[in-house]
Amino acid sequence: MKVDRISLLFKQVMALTEISLAIYDGEIVSIIGPNGAGKSSLLNCLNGFYKPQTGDIYFEDKRITHLSCHKIARMGIGRTFQGIQAFLGMSVLDNILVGRHIHMKTNVFQSFLYWIWSIKEEVHHRDVAEDILDFLEMAPMRDAIVGDIGYGLRKRVDLGRALAMDPRILLMDEPLAGMNVEEKEDMARFILDIKEFRKIPIVIVEHDMEVVMDISDRVIALDWGRVISEGTPDEVRKDSKVINAYLGEAEH
Amino acid sequence: MTEMATDVSQTREENFPSLEATTIPKLFQIRVQQFGKRTFFRQKHKGVWQRFSYDQVYGRVKEFALGLAKLGLQFGQTLAISGENEKELFWAEYGVLALGGKAVCLYPDMLPNEIKYILQHSEARFLVAEDQEQVDKILAIRAELPLIQKIIYWDPKGMWQYDDPMLMNFAELLEIGRVFARENPDFFEASIEKVKKDDIAVISYTSGTTGLPKGVILTHANLLDNAYRVAMSVEFKPFSQYLSYISPAWGTEQICGVTLGLVVPFELNFPEKPETVLENIRELGAEILVFGPRQWESLVSMVQAHMLDAGPVRRRIYEVGMKVGKEVARERTEGQKINPIWKVLFPLSDVVVLKAIRDNLGLKKAYVTVSGGTAMSPDIFRFFHAIGIKLRNLYGTTETGILTQHLGNCFAPETMGKWFRSHPDFGPPLEWKLKDSGELLARGGAGFAGYYKNSEMTKAKLEDGWFLTGDAVTMKENGELVFLDRVSDLRRLSDGHMFPPQFIETRLRFSPYIRDAIALGDASKPFVSALINIDFDNVSRWAERQGITYATLPDLSQKREVIELIEGAVAHVNQLLEPKSQVKRFVNLPKELDPDEAELTRTRKLRREFIEDRYKGLIRAIYEGESEFCFELQIKYRDGRSGYVKNNTRINFCQGGEVQ
Repeated sequence: MKVDRISLLFKQVMALTEISLAIYDGEIVSIIGPNGAGKSSLLNCLNGFYKPQTGDIYFEDKRITHLSCHKIARMGIGRTFQGIQAFLGMSVLDNILVGRHIHMKTNVFQSFLYWIWSIKEEVHHRDVAEDILDFLEMAPMRDAIVGDIGYGLRKRVDLGRALAMDPRILLMDEPLAGMNVEEKEDMARFILDIKEFRKIPIVIVEHDMEVVMDISDRVIALDWGRVISEGTPDEVRKDSKVINAYLGEAEH
Repeated sequence: MTEMATDVSQTREENFPSLEATTIPKLFQIRVQQFGKRTFFRQKHKGVWQRFSYDQVYGRVKEFALGLAKLGLQFGQTLAISGENEKELFWAEYGVLALGGKAVCLYPDMLPNEIKYILQHSEARFLVAEDQEQVDKILAIRAELPLIQKIIYWDPKGMWQYDDPMLMNFAELLEIGRVFARENPDFFEASIEKVKKDDIAVISYTSGTTGLPKGVILTHANLLDNAYRVAMSVEFKPFSQYLSYISPAWGTEQICGVTLGLVVPFELNFPEKPETVLENIRELGAEILVFGPRQWESLVSMVQAHMLDAGPVRRRIYEVGMKVGKEVARERTEGQKINPIWKVLFPLSDVVVLKAIRDNLGLKKAYVTVSGGTAMSPDIFRFFHAIGIKLRNLYGTTETGILTQHLGNCFAPETMGKWFRSHPDFGPPLEWKLKDSGELLARGGAGFAGYYKNSEMTKAKLEDGWFLTGDAVTMKENGELVFLDRVSDLRRLSDGHMFPPQFIETRLRFSPYIRDAIALGDASKPFVSALINIDFDNVSRWAERQGITYATLPDLSQKREVIELIEGAVAHVNQLLEPKSQVKRFVNLPKELDPDEAELTRTRKLRREFIEDRYKGLIRAIYEGESEFCFELQIKYRDGRSGYVKNNTRINFCQGGEVQ
């Protein structure tokens, strides 16, 4: 995925200014920055929620800047969201099956009849969903209602639903927010497992520096809508511009 | 010796079934020929129960065995298996037995240093491990395991980045086996014929509470002897649903799942995950369940916890229904005549309450339910009988096999039942006698085959051919065995009276209001007293209902009402004890016993000496007859910080417990 000098303007506010970056195969890239730096806006541009006024975004050599979000999703860009966006009244399994809907081919009439092709298709999707449940260690709670399970597990359902789309790149918006230490460790392990097993790139927007620095291959720091630093976790950690952005400029 | 040796089977002229096979692989082969297409294994995969017929299981077992043979496992060599009860574990075990090898099963939660000792001691050549977690444990200690040639894992999750040449996927091994089978079509069947009944089948390592674990040798004859003891005494329906849950690292599952599963035979079902066992029991309608007392206890506390949350009307209905069930069950368990009114009420309460509980626990179809291992609280035992589940206690040792069980229609809760008979083809009949200390000695059947590579210890445990069980028991006149305690755990009071501390503790713990209890008393003390750790959740809920205000656990534990509540529980236990063993004084501890402070082991076993040392001031105060003690204690928090607890603790005298 490549981002070429995009700028995003909300009325008079420049949310993103001339941002260029590239995401390579099989890497975990974290986007960090203080509040209001433009991290989520950038992520929203990548999956088509926001349309940048200038600049272009390419995915697998196709320009996707002006495609609608559902088309972008179909191309294989999956994402998870801040907070909980799962269907609280549905079971864990059903939530994950929802993520399969872009791959479902039978139409309403075929489904009503529930003949060979729809049965076959349902079995296939259930199969994929079960693999994901197993992957996320949620198989025993497949029938639990999402509203009844803990926060950390709900976040996992969110992730499961994104994986159900069979994404070729995964965008995650604050996957660790509001979790306790144990839940964070679990989630970090799942993120690494996804990278290893699916070999897809993962873009994470996250505040928890410790985890970010631990699991990322590359870190991009934003401030005031601009990229201020980019490199390995160690390089970014030591970059004075990043330190200043977080701690405020030293008095001269 | 106080008693004469007693032959258990007085009815020698009785007919015994003829044995079909004297080794496990042979019996396995016979069953496959008999029942080919019938279901043998069942395991949930992707949320759906999958069946495996005898033919299919035979195919996998054969491929596994041949794969292993191809990799170089020789007759008599050892395969170790580490994982939860799943089909692959059983394939691997039947496979290695067919090669004439030894199987050593490990508990999935064993630590690397324990595993290291067992793998070194058993000279394991290959290891079958469930998943990444198990593999990682072995890889961490591989440098010290030069004999291990391959580690075979069956769950590839998380193993994508491992390229260690020592690792091999289970499926890959089966493929090697398939190729080998084409080249050597008769190898497997020929190998089965070579196995003899006195060959070692399994080495079962007993958890060493003292010192290193000992490897008990279980030969094919041992396992089959034990399985036949059960099969000849219990009326099993063939193809009953058996849920394999207890770990095969424990001899009981080797007998019940692995061997009895072939003898009867059972349909062996494997739970999806350890935490889904209860759900799986319901889905399957399991008919045969062998659990440890802990697991049965957890079923009871689940029902009790649900009922605490139920509304007053429902709770009342439950209580009445249980009352009727308990009264009716008393005739069966206690052998007392009961008021016929209860029998009249029974059908109604069965429909309204008891059946619903059975259904909810998934025990509707269970007709053989066994509690094996340590002694079980009679109250839990009675609970199951009240809801119409005929729970049976089982007693035995890994070395001698299973010895007694509630057989037929005797279910006295405080006993471990009557002696099994052993099939004469395996050896002389089972016999027992008691030493002066109350220790049980046993012999007969296939007999104790010894500890692996430890003849010294083997000799120490045998006395003229009798095996010293180390268990203090008494035999009732009707031939039922009462388990008191380990002989080494009985303790002597200052007047020489021996009392069973664990017996007291187990029974105190059954009160929903008591989480842990330590019975005090030794040669320097004239009577028994107890330190009690109240169950904060249940007591606080009780206190709320009673309108008792409290601030924290230290405060709640010393409330007058709570002390009375606990006194009631202590008095209940005292009824079961002879007067000199009764608890005379007790203290409610103002803090919870905590593994983080080394008061309990990680499995919540009491670390008695440590506790007695830590609370020595309090204990002195109890025996000096004081009524209150102020103690200070350093405690550690989870995050590693430490603080002080300072608290006034009341010392309570039990009714009728005045000491002269």
